[in-house]
Amino acid sequence: MVIDENLIVLNLKSNRKEEVIRELAELAFNQGKVTSVNDYVKTVLEREKLFTTGVGNGIAIPHGKTDAVKESMMVFAKLEQQIEWESLDGKPVDLVFLLGVPEKDANDLHLQILSRISRKLIDDTFVDKLRKSQTKDEVIGILNSI
Amino acid sequence: MKIVAVTACPTGIAHTYMAAEALERAAKSLGYSIKVETQGSIGIENKISQKEVNEADLVIFAADVAVKEESRFKDKTIYRVEAQKVIKNAKAVIEEAVNLLNNK
Repeated sequence: MVIDENLIVLNLKSNRKEEVIRELAELAFNQGKVTSVNDYVKTVLEREKLFTTGVGNGIAIPHGKTDAVKESMMVFAKLEQQIEWESLDGKPVDLVFLLGVPEKDANDLHLQILSRISRKLIDDTFVDKLRKSQTKDEVIGILNSI
Repeated sequence: MKIVAVTACPTGIAHTYMAAEALERAAKSLGYSIKVETQGSIGIENKISQKEVNEADLVIFAADVAVKEESRFKDKTIYRVEAQKVIKNAKAVIEEAVNLLNNK
């Protein structure tokens, strides 16, 4: 599955963008979703340089398409403190969706799920629910409701 | 007002779909009809036909990469904008595009 309780963090303490990305990438690596933390993080940071993934509303969606990703995945984190992400609306970020897709993903279903989640991030009610969620089950329930 | 739009971004995972959703919501709130084609990692979805292009009053490209099959739109004036600008404020983008169209 794209959404997995082991890929959810409810109180991430990191307070720098690069640290957040690396920590979440390590989580993905530990779950066997990513084969190399360094290669994956490098791709994600290169993508960040193109333009920001801070899409506003306190949300960031860093992502990378690389063969260092085994299967399409998403890591979700709520940050303990809001951090700077050069967001479109200038606001700091407290919800991070780290996405990974292999160069060639045969599994359209995974991509469909990721695209549907991306669409929902425009929805303030959806984002609000995620922000208020207290447990991993709650987060999974909200994400699966899409 | 009939709008057709195409969204696309470099990795095709996130911005393409967020921009599409933002445009659909904004158009609805402004009372315009819209069809948004996404060109992302899944490929082309909700494809705009030649007939729909011909009937459209306004074409918007919210794309940070080249739009595929752009020749469909060759007889139209295209309003081009970055995908992230649409995510930030789709309503303002549509309003600006409509203004330009009306003042042409």
